[in-house]
Amino acid sequence: MATQDSDPTAEFRKNQSWLYDSKAGGYVRKTAIGLLTLVIGVFVLFPLYWMVVTAFKTTAEIQQIPPTVFPEDFSLEGFRLVIESSIQAGGYAGLVQNLFGITVTSAIDINLLGLVVSSLKVAVGAGVIAVVLGTGASYVLSRREFRGKNLLMSLLLASLMFPGTAIMVPEWELISWLGLFNTHLALILIYGAMTAPFVVWLMKGFFDDFPDSIIEASRIDQCTPFETFWYVLVPMARNSLIASFIFAFLLAWNELVFALTLLDNSKFTVPPGLLTFVQGFNTQWNVVAAASIIVSIPVLAGLAYIQRYFVQGLTGGAIKG
Amino acid sequence: MSYVDQAQSSYENATKHIPEGVKVYLPILPVMALVGVFILYPIAQAIYSSFFAKSLLRPDQAEFVGVANYVEIWTDPDIHQVLWNTFVWVTVGSLAAIVLGFLMGWLLDEKLPYTSVASAIVLIPWVLPRVVGASIWQFMFGGSQGIVNELLVQMGLIDEYIVMLGSSDLSLWPPIIGMIWRLAPLFALLTLTSLQGIDEHLYEAARMDGATPWEQFRYITIPMMKYNLAIGFLLMLIYNVRNFSMVWVMTKGGPGVSSSTLPVMIYRAAFIDFEVGFASALSVMLFVVLLVFSYYYIQFYDKVQGEM
Repeated sequence: MATQDSDPTAEFRKNQSWLYDSKAGGYVRKTAIGLLTLVIGVFVLFPLYWMVVTAFKTTAEIQQIPPTVFPEDFSLEGFRLVIESSIQAGGYAGLVQNLFGITVTSAIDINLLGLVVSSLKVAVGAGVIAVVLGTGASYVLSRREFRGKNLLMSLLLASLMFPGTAIMVPEWELISWLGLFNTHLALILIYGAMTAPFVVWLMKGFFDDFPDSIIEASRIDQCTPFETFWYVLVPMARNSLIASFIFAFLLAWNELVFALTLLDNSKFTVPPGLLTFVQGFNTQWNVVAAASIIVSIPVLAGLAYIQRYFVQGLTGGAIKG
Repeated sequence: MSYVDQAQSSYENATKHIPEGVKVYLPILPVMALVGVFILYPIAQAIYSSFFAKSLLRPDQAEFVGVANYVEIWTDPDIHQVLWNTFVWVTVGSLAAIVLGFLMGWLLDEKLPYTSVASAIVLIPWVLPRVVGASIWQFMFGGSQGIVNELLVQMGLIDEYIVMLGSSDLSLWPPIIGMIWRLAPLFALLTLTSLQGIDEHLYEAARMDGATPWEQFRYITIPMMKYNLAIGFLLMLIYNVRNFSMVWVMTKGGPGVSSSTLPVMIYRAAFIDFEVGFASALSVMLFVVLLVFSYYYIQFYDKVQGEM
């Protein structure tokens, strides 16, 4: 709070706050902030810490009472079991035997690789659909005036309001009627529909702010609207497009309700797959933790990449959630 | 001829008989079709189904029953527990997440070392796959190996381990704590960005006029953040009302309905009891609640956008 003002009244009022300006107040304030940071930090980080240490404990150590705060012998058993059972369940045991001469047998039943592949398929598909369809629409909605524009925008916004849980029954009936039950395509379409309005909204914001002079310049160079869109606007919108894609991707990667109701075990994505394993008899928590860490990596990488779009995306995507 | 030229000429060929006034709708059509079929139609269908007695096992034999499903909601033996749970979720969960999130955001805004790293780390609970976050909490609260029990014993708060997730007195609380953990970072982020968005000159001017730190907070910080805070507040409400994963993973809404909220009750009615009509009536109830929240959310959102 360093100020150079020489106004005596201000000086006087300022000094009344000993918490800010006296030396002792400074220490009190610093200690208070430190303690608060510590308490909040522990609450936020401890569960994450617990997941990580659990992943590195042996099965025996996990069953120990009281639980150990730090793994006694740092073990990769959890990760090994996940990988082994994925190899076995995915039918790659023979391949690994031939290539490395290692016999893979697994005591547990979690096909993480299969789950991840399903999730990737669904998340990439939904992301592509949402971005491709959403961007084209947002350009027109931003740059042209036509009848019913406001109605369309409000319909798109309204569609973001409704939670999956409330529409899952009709969605279930619709998907069965379309013959898409237990297909990844069903999830791609639903997640695409859930995120496309958000992409429209995000990209419209981008096109709204786009300077007219650049578009006029490309007109003077005899670009058609289509060419302007493709050669001028799309390359400049690259970051927003990537952010839109990652949002759609993350939604699809994390969504539980529709995946749980519209798929069966053989087609499961990561969230319902992990859930069945967690709820299985005698859950091996080191395996769950190891699997959780593996499936969280793409999400955290995505977060690191789009961090600066986050507030915008969260608040807008909020209604989507 | 480039792909773009090809695309354009085939687009032009295909649309040459379509009048210019209609052409403008073409790029919007695919999105509207997708959203219409997979979001808007199911919403309409849910409202329609709520007037029928219908089983998921025999969807063809629906019988029109008027508002009977809505009447049934109020006579359902579980509804009071579920509504009360939902109310507790929304109020306790949101308020705690707001207070904690505000403090977190404010701490992040202080010029502490590692602020940028910290603000990225703080977000992890929010972005972690929901099932993963919920599983961690389930493990920590769960039965014999749960660390929470051990911590409480160490602190002398309890004498021996207690079953938390399986007790109808306690089972509501562990998922709420998990949810606070998940939502507080979002509020922290909103707080942080709105704090950073306040012009430093305002504080300088206030100090010139002799404002104390408390007055600065009361007359600058709070008014400047008001709409952002309102958005954050409504977001917390919306998320808490809708939450399904945290409850479902940790307790399945049980034992009994002791930890069920409205979304869990809908899921159970539809996919365990197969009563589509009843589930739809519950959904409509949830819609109405969310519509009210969303209405204010959009109002505040427009205001914030207008001011930024």
